[in-house]
Amino acid sequence: MSKESPNKKAEGPEYIRIKFDAPRPYNWSTGKYLGKVYAEAKENKKLVSNRCPQCKEIWLPPTPVCPKCKVDMGWDWVELPQTGTVYQYTYLVYPLWDPHFGEKWANPYPSATILLDNGVFYRHWIEETDKEKLRVGMRVQAVWKEDYDERGQGVQDILYFRTIEA
Amino acid sequence: MPMAERVAIVSVAQTKYHPNRADVNEEELAYEAIKQVLQETGLTLSDMDSAVTCSQDFWDGRTISSMNIQHVVGAHLGHEDNISEDGINAVYAAMGQILSGHQDIVLVEAHTKESQGDKSLIENAAFDAILMRQLGLDFTSAAALQARRYMYKYGITAEQCAKVAVRNRGNAKNNPFAQEPMDISVDDVLGSKMLVSPIRLLDAKPISDGACAMILAPEGKAKKLTKSPVWILGASNCYETHYLGDRDLADCDALVKAAQKAYSMAGITNPLRQIDVAEISTEYSYQEPLWLEGLGFCDQGEGGKLVDSRATNMGGKLPVNPSGGVLPGNPNGVAGMARVAEAVLQLRGEAGDRQVKGAKVALAHGYTGICGQHQAVMILGNM
Amino acid sequence: MPNRVAIVGIGQTYHTGSRDDVSQPEMVAEAVRAALADAQLSIKDIEGVFSGNMETFEGIYLPDHGMAAEVGAFGKPGFKVNTGGTTGASVVTEGFYMVSSGLYDLALVIGFEKQDCGDTTAAISAAAVPTWAKGAATGAIGEFAKQALAYLETSGAKEEHAAMVRLKADRNACRNPYAHLKLGLKNIDEVLQSPYLVWPLRLMDFCPQSCGACALVLASEKRAKNIHKKPVWIADVEVVHQEPFRAGVFGDPTGKETYTQHVACERLYKRNGITNPRKDIDMAEIYEPSNWEELNLYEHLHFCDKNEGWKLIEKGITEIEGEFPVNPSGGVIATNPIGATPIIRVAEAALQIRGDAGEHQIAKDIKTAMATALGGPNWTVLFLLKRSL
Repeated sequence: MSKESPNKKAEGPEYIRIKFDAPRPYNWSTGKYLGKVYAEAKENKKLVSNRCPQCKEIWLPPTPVCPKCKVDMGWDWVELPQTGTVYQYTYLVYPLWDPHFGEKWANPYPSATILLDNGVFYRHWIEETDKEKLRVGMRVQAVWKEDYDERGQGVQDILYFRTIEA
Repeated sequence: MPMAERVAIVSVAQTKYHPNRADVNEEELAYEAIKQVLQETGLTLSDMDSAVTCSQDFWDGRTISSMNIQHVVGAHLGHEDNISEDGINAVYAAMGQILSGHQDIVLVEAHTKESQGDKSLIENAAFDAILMRQLGLDFTSAAALQARRYMYKYGITAEQCAKVAVRNRGNAKNNPFAQEPMDISVDDVLGSKMLVSPIRLLDAKPISDGACAMILAPEGKAKKLTKSPVWILGASNCYETHYLGDRDLADCDALVKAAQKAYSMAGITNPLRQIDVAEISTEYSYQEPLWLEGLGFCDQGEGGKLVDSRATNMGGKLPVNPSGGVLPGNPNGVAGMARVAEAVLQLRGEAGDRQVKGAKVALAHGYTGICGQHQAVMILGNM
Repeated sequence: MPNRVAIVGIGQTYHTGSRDDVSQPEMVAEAVRAALADAQLSIKDIEGVFSGNMETFEGIYLPDHGMAAEVGAFGKPGFKVNTGGTTGASVVTEGFYMVSSGLYDLALVIGFEKQDCGDTTAAISAAAVPTWAKGAATGAIGEFAKQALAYLETSGAKEEHAAMVRLKADRNACRNPYAHLKLGLKNIDEVLQSPYLVWPLRLMDFCPQSCGACALVLASEKRAKNIHKKPVWIADVEVVHQEPFRAGVFGDPTGKETYTQHVACERLYKRNGITNPRKDIDMAEIYEPSNWEELNLYEHLHFCDKNEGWKLIEKGITEIEGEFPVNPSGGVIATNPIGATPIIRVAEAALQIRGDAGEHQIAKDIKTAMATALGGPNWTVLFLLKRSL
């Protein structure tokens, strides 16, 4: 709680501000759909998602109900390619921090929407931090955390996407 | 101008309440309930004109908590609104949408995973930041203040409150969705660990995860969707002041007002006689006599006597919480909607072992916030 | 036949970056009092109070409870709505349904945000699913930056066009006593000198974090005519949520799928016989979180064809003196108290219809106006307002 200003000679009213700085802990479940993504990433360094039985579209992240058909997605899993093309990208130049986990993100850093080779869009960080070298259309490949014990963060097990063809 | 056709609830579903559903995220939990109402009516998500959801950013731990369940309520290119009060208010909002004539078939959903957040820290954030928050109150400690005041003013005893706990947990044995049905005695309650005086462990509800869903429709469509539509005869809600010192916590004027409006809409002049069964939201045992007074089932201060008279037991004049209510475990936000769901089951004759025979008119109640700052009442009927 | 609903009272606070002088309830009370004064009603006449706010921004759980007394909700029915950026619009929508249903004759709808209480960007970033791709969430800024980049690269627009939109917004805001950012920009060079935040969005391209509240009094047809000389009718509402949420990106990156604005407009226009929006509607208050987004929205809202949005600003069509004024209030890029912003769009459009917008009143007669809201993963709410039905 902030104290009243010691300078009692100040003109006008003193505004008191009360600060609360308590983190609120949460314990989120992945549920079984995201849980499968986490398991495949940790165990096999694979990226998977599920496919709608009706429209056959692959939704990433996986979901219990197809957003378009509004039918039960069932349990049809597809392994996604780990290479793709940068479709759009953006380049953050000021520091952000993750409100869920309290970590400061790297700055500057580029994040891109990647069109994976099977036509599914995926968004992730790019390794290349030189803005001049970033280009729509560049080919990239997922780079995983190699240490098994460090994995288990779902798609965060992919460190970034590395340029394979500029 | 004549009102639109009556609004009916055509299908309800609840998940079995559980202390920790670590196996599902919010979307999957909500879908468990939603799937059931879709199956029962034969409708699909594409048939929904609109969805009204009920979840809290603070409990889901993310901004715009309704983003969690967009797919499972069929909101793709569709209509969805999120009410951030207790779930009974989402049913009320859906009713308004249908009565306006702008929407027909409305899916209503509520979900909360209390296991995933810190209850005290979340609830503490509801207290006014300038004057009350630093007192470190949460809803339980505020409820304790209310319980003390109520018991002091009207001479309600700990035993009377314990009877409420015994009855609710006992009734829960007949409820397949109940989390903690128990065979306990008044002595068990009075001997259980003190949480915040005078509220003991068995006087209070446990942490709970769950979801509830229902489908509402206007009269014409309702009759095609189910053989037993349940009509919403009256509904209203009401705000109380926020600062705990601004009101006498032994009274619940907001509930009195909400009930009066709902009764007036439903043509109820003698609640004790005209209502066959009541599902009221009781998180702490002292709340039951207090809310019973506010609902007009007895005079002010007589709640304890009403409990003693056993009129609110199964087989009594006005069975209260045949499902066990909230005390055996119902998550915040879902609690009031679950009361509506239970009332619907009663009126459809589908309440199994907890059925109140011949129930024609039921009352459902839900509240939100500190010491029931926001109260909502809904009257339902099957004729 | 649904009951008709009119806006009979409009009130807002003087939006600004920081309001040290008031608490959240006191700030909202200012807007409520202004709306009641405008309607010449007392709080006793109000039958229900519906509010909207994104509570993670201020870190206040159940904010409508905290301000029950200050905003006059004490002893009255009501509830709070939270749908992210469209919150203000959702609360007007819910208020509209409640009055249209016959349950209420007079309702107060309030939207508010006191963003100096918390960290806005963090709160927006917290909209990301915590168990998915937390690192790739870049707050709303990142999303809009990607859209801006896509627009820049595909439509033929240049950065100058975005700067022209920013200049328009600022010129309009300087004529609006309630607007927050009044930079006094003189030409587009001043915009083009602003540093990049998230390329290609510059500091000036994005909306501010404002503190403010806005309140409307809604009345049923039978009461409306006795309350205000110039009731503004809510002719229609369209709510469209959730495009397919691909890879945690809203909207389809390829642009082949429809955007929610497009779907909402198709439905709203069809229902109301609107075939040529720029002729059938007189003006629009749109929710544009960035100037680039405004260019995009011109196209998605069918004000022009695809890839022609930048031509509208180039030709001055959407200026306040133009043929189809857009955001004469200065828009969201000048003022953004998130919970209030959509209500401000409705309020400003209604003021234009009434001819009460003062210095930023459009000269030509405004009979029909559109107000839009945008939020979350590109959710859209549209309102069609009319002087007479």
